[in-house]
Amino acid sequence: MRITNNMLINNIMTHLSSNLNRTMKYQNQLATGKKISMPSDDPIVASRALKLRTDVAEIQQYSRNMDDALSWMEITEATMNQINDVLQRFREITVQAANGTNTPDDLQKIGAEAGELVTQIIQLANTTYAGRYIFSGFKTDKPLLNSDGTFNVGFMENEYIQFEIGIGDFINVNVPGYDLFHRSNVASQGDVSSLFQTLDSIKKAINGQDLDPDENQHEKISNLLGELDLEIENLLRVRAGLGARMNRVELTSNRLDEDYVSFTKLMSLNEDVDMAEAIMNLFNEQNVYQASLSTTARVIQPSLVDYLK
Amino acid sequence: MSNSAFLGMEIALRGLYSSQRGMATVSHNVDNTNTPGYSRQVVNQKAARPMLMAGRVGMVGMGSDVVSVDRIRDTYLDEKYWGEIQHFGEWYVKHTILLDLQAIYNEPSNSGFSKIISDFYDALQQLSTDPSSHSIRNAVKEKGIAVAKYFNSVAAHFDHLQEDLNNMVYAKVEEINTLADQIQKLNMQIYNFEVMGYTANDLRDQRTYLVDKLAQLVNCDAYEVETGYTLPNGMPEKRFVVAISGKALVDHGSVVHLKCVTREEKLNFEDIDNLYEVVWEDGNKLKIKSGELKGYLDMRDGNDGLPALNGSGNSPSCMGIPYYQRKMNEFVQVFARAFNEGIIDIDGDGVLNDADGHVDGYTLSGAPAGRFFTMLDDEGKPMSSDQFESEVYKYAEAKGVTTSNFDKLVAGYGILTARNFSISFEIDSDPVENIAASDQAGEIGNNNNLLKLIEMRHNTHMFMEGTGEDFIKTLISTMGVDGQQASIYLGIQEGVVKQIEGRRQSISGVSLNEEMVNLVKYQQVYGAAAKMIQAYSEVLDILINRLGV
Repeated sequence: MRITNNMLINNIMTHLSSNLNRTMKYQNQLATGKKISMPSDDPIVASRALKLRTDVAEIQQYSRNMDDALSWMEITEATMNQINDVLQRFREITVQAANGTNTPDDLQKIGAEAGELVTQIIQLANTTYAGRYIFSGFKTDKPLLNSDGTFNVGFMENEYIQFEIGIGDFINVNVPGYDLFHRSNVASQGDVSSLFQTLDSIKKAINGQDLDPDENQHEKISNLLGELDLEIENLLRVRAGLGARMNRVELTSNRLDEDYVSFTKLMSLNEDVDMAEAIMNLFNEQNVYQASLSTTARVIQPSLVDYLK
Repeated sequence: MSNSAFLGMEIALRGLYSSQRGMATVSHNVDNTNTPGYSRQVVNQKAARPMLMAGRVGMVGMGSDVVSVDRIRDTYLDEKYWGEIQHFGEWYVKHTILLDLQAIYNEPSNSGFSKIISDFYDALQQLSTDPSSHSIRNAVKEKGIAVAKYFNSVAAHFDHLQEDLNNMVYAKVEEINTLADQIQKLNMQIYNFEVMGYTANDLRDQRTYLVDKLAQLVNCDAYEVETGYTLPNGMPEKRFVVAISGKALVDHGSVVHLKCVTREEKLNFEDIDNLYEVVWEDGNKLKIKSGELKGYLDMRDGNDGLPALNGSGNSPSCMGIPYYQRKMNEFVQVFARAFNEGIIDIDGDGVLNDADGHVDGYTLSGAPAGRFFTMLDDEGKPMSSDQFESEVYKYAEAKGVTTSNFDKLVAGYGILTARNFSISFEIDSDPVENIAASDQAGEIGNNNNLLKLIEMRHNTHMFMEGTGEDFIKTLISTMGVDGQQASIYLGIQEGVVKQIEGRRQSISGVSLNEEMVNLVKYQQVYGAAAKMIQAYSEVLDILINRLGV
């Protein structure tokens, strides 16, 4: 084949430019740390990158939702713990009051304490988390109980606030007030809370109010103790339910943490460049480039012209 | 019988002439080593007609004669080159524009669609954990604006690109016309020159070079046809013809230009106004099969072969700007319809259901909510929910849908485009009040409506391609695959063209070594011929001066 000067030059330019193209590709990879910079570099990697980014972002959001859910539940749990303490104390003094050896003076003191405890229950029922009443169902802007023990808000059945903690996976974060304070019977606005009712009637019995003439005060208090036990049992039931839900959130949270790690790993595998490999490739290209430059310099310069004297 | 005294001198003189001519050609070749389109020339040299001598001597050689100077050219390679460079031109353009398109989508990155839509849903999720929070409600509005603005900006970029491509179409048509004019002029020069019986080597090179350039712009054939007449020099008369898809652009001395005509009616619904249609100046319809012009037209008009609005057949079957505009429009229509009205296929039976959307919720103060997304009005301000509804109904009625409000909503969202997509006036002006988190009036802690809106994100029946994000993902990978294909084809065409170009250079290119060898050859012969003259001069000297009488 006849080789002409321009063929040589064109050939050299083609090869140099394709070499520079590859060098640029590796240089780009090293500078960005990514295998691709355009979908057309590798459409499959690009489309997986989009999917994984969305997945990772979602996992992060679900994690945040779960943190919010947990703090809401922790406040609820702490409040219920205090309610439990109050009810236990109430039970102790009720048992004490049922004892026939109390002087009227003693009873009066016990009655006064019972009154305090009832007020405390109402305060606890109106606990807020970040300005939101935690037991008021969806009406988080309104306190649950009035000071007279009536419900300030009405409830629908299953008035649960749900957070999404996975795709289509919802968790109830709140304890609706009727569940805890009305033995799970749906309450309307104005209904008297059953818990309040029980405590209030015990308090009145201790104070000797509303007593039928032929009724024995101690017996009445003893009988009401049974009602109180029902309320305590109800509280335990609700607490257990909440505990189970918190457990679930914690488990899911652990799983999400693992998912996060594995998804970011997948993301990195998918789109991040293998540095060692890219550096090797870059050096390789550099060598080829230098080799082709030096051969070019040798081939392109001399011609017969140089030797004709 | 004897020779004339000066015959030897005459013969040597011819040698001088021939080698001078040879050296001139070498010089011409060397000068044009880097001239694009140049083909090397060689001197066609023959022994001159011998002199017939009487007697037994026979023929006496009369030295050399230069018969012609020929260009070394393989016309088969030219035709092959024209056949391939047009595809190179087309893919070169498509490759470049697909890179532009991908840059507009800006994926994968931390600022593309997936990030923006993720942020929007994150804000909704955040709000679902605290539905009465004023600050999160404001954040939802901002993220909603970001979603709308993303589509506006992509659509605006597409519009801009389409306009650029339209201008490029115009520029390329001008370029084709200029080349046609130049070829026509060369045709006349070559014809007038060759009528005398010579070959117009350099002019022919120039003409071929112009056709090379033309072939990259548009598919064309170039050939010489014999007219059937005979020239005074006895050769058949030929005309040079350049044709696009069979119709002559240049025919010997006549040119028919191409023309850009502004379209009366749009080709695609998504097109911007005043795009050019390329036609023949004489009114004939132009069919373009490849070349850069085809690349620009395809990317400007390509809508996956959808029937054209103006009834001129179908749009180009490639996926150009109108296709991506249409897909973006489809996304905002379906997405907004589902988000606003809850009109979405819930169960995958292919029938749209009337589920709960933003309008089915209640505002913070307990009033029935309006739409979250609407469109921009003529002044570029977001429309209110009611205003938008009446526009939607109007649009549906204009399309002949009057059966029910549901049907009207389904059809009427066609009015929404990526260009005019926006959040509603209500959300824009008072997001705290107007975002519908609750599905019951007056329950500010109720997030049920939000949860339903969020759930739609994972509804795989929202689009044929799956969820909204799947839809965009598919769009972007389609673009990626197209871009990859274009770059592969471009690489192949580049290789083919380079290969042909290499063979052309191999045959027609100037080799300096070869020219130098020729130079030495001619120089030596020149010297030798001069020596001959000297020798004859001495002979004559002896004859004239020394033969003393």
